[in-house]
Amino acid sequence: MKWIGALLLISTATMIGFDWSNRLTKRPKQIRQLKSALLILEAEIVYSQAPLSDAFVSVSKKIPNPIKSFFSALGMEMQEEQFDFFSLWERKVDELVKDSNMNDSEKEILMQFGRTLGQHDIYQQQKHIQLTNVHLDRELEEALDNYQKYGKVAKSLGVLSGIFIVLLLI
Amino acid sequence: MFTDASVLFQIAGIGIIVALIHTILKQMGKEEIAQFATLIGFVIVLVIVVNGLSDLFQQIKSVFLF
Repeated sequence: MKWIGALLLISTATMIGFDWSNRLTKRPKQIRQLKSALLILEAEIVYSQAPLSDAFVSVSKKIPNPIKSFFSALGMEMQEEQFDFFSLWERKVDELVKDSNMNDSEKEILMQFGRTLGQHDIYQQQKHIQLTNVHLDRELEEALDNYQKYGKVAKSLGVLSGIFIVLLLI
Repeated sequence: MFTDASVLFQIAGIGIIVALIHTILKQMGKEEIAQFATLIGFVIVLVIVVNGLSDLFQQIKSVFLF
């Protein structure tokens, strides 16, 4: 009985450690996907000159989840009757940040981007997309840095703290 | 007389684990947290040892003072 409890404690702590390192791995990947989604959006706006709802739908076809569901939900809801674009964008960005491993700074960047979307002509819009990309680049660098610092440590720290707690309670 | 050696193994295990945690945290660049973890480990071991010592003193008291 005692040993079963000890094993459960150790495996729980190990899983928490692996989950932490997993989140650190996924964040740079998702920021990169967001960046390529913005590049596709830029191409849709500048070269195809598609309306925003069509552009969102075609972006969502080329990008993996969770960014895919963000854009496809935006595209779907924009085809309905009345909506206020910025509050819709705000709601969807909230959902995206909850689903993915991104944090508040990416949310702030996306909010700022949403305020400019659809307000300007094509060239201004292109500049805003590039500005957002630069901001995301900075975040990507920080996320990669965090991963290299904490990614491998997180796993071993989880295992070790599990063994530590077991030793205390035994 | 020498009834229970498990407390020795427990303290040794805590020592090893705390040393490993210290090394890893130091590698991560969190010197202060590493020091703090070592301090916590030390306090825990101290509590265990003091418990054992108080048992010993009770024993001595009951031998000499009836």
